[in-house]
Amino acid sequence: MTSVVVDVLLAVGVSVAVAATAGVLLMRSSLDRLHYVTPVSVVSAVVVAAGVVVKESFDARGLKAILVAVTLLFLGPLLTQATARAARVEQHGGWRLEAGEKRRGRR
Amino acid sequence: MNAWLAAAAVVVATLLPVGIFSFRGPMFDRVVGLELASVLGTLALVLLAEGFDRDIYFDLAVVFAVASFAGTLAFVRFLERWL
Repeated sequence: MTSVVVDVLLAVGVSVAVAATAGVLLMRSSLDRLHYVTPVSVVSAVVVAAGVVVKESFDARGLKAILVAVTLLFLGPLLTQATARAARVEQHGGWRLEAGEKRRGRR
Repeated sequence: MNAWLAAAAVVVATLLPVGIFSFRGPMFDRVVGLELASVLGTLALVLLAEGFDRDIYFDLAVVFAVASFAGTLAFVRFLERWL
């Protein structure tokens, strides 16, 4: 039973990584591509760490896998935001909304 | 080959197109490729550590996760300020 759970978790983690890679390669703009980086660091890392914990329990390996997952979970979105900010500054000369520009994604 | 090594092989295989992608295109597309390659590399190290049954490889994954974050962040800040 444990090995089936581990295999399923591994399949999910690797599938998300492959799909995210395809998304990065197929999208057209840098900001669209950035959206596909985060699922690898948020979903794949956590699912793979869960697989390690299921197999090894909370021993040294399990704790280190959790440490890697937590590191990627917090630092990945941070890095994505910093990259988006840099791309915005490079394209528009500043981070703030320009005159006449509307905020998208909120109503 | 166990399931961990098979998964690691798939993740390492995805690094190849990402590496090619990082050599082409506009500047920020390359940064996105570098960012994705860092995360995929960390994931591959975790999978290889479990697949080869070696504790010490997990330490490598932890160090790689933190160091690649710092390196990519420095690179991004450099691009934002000076290029």
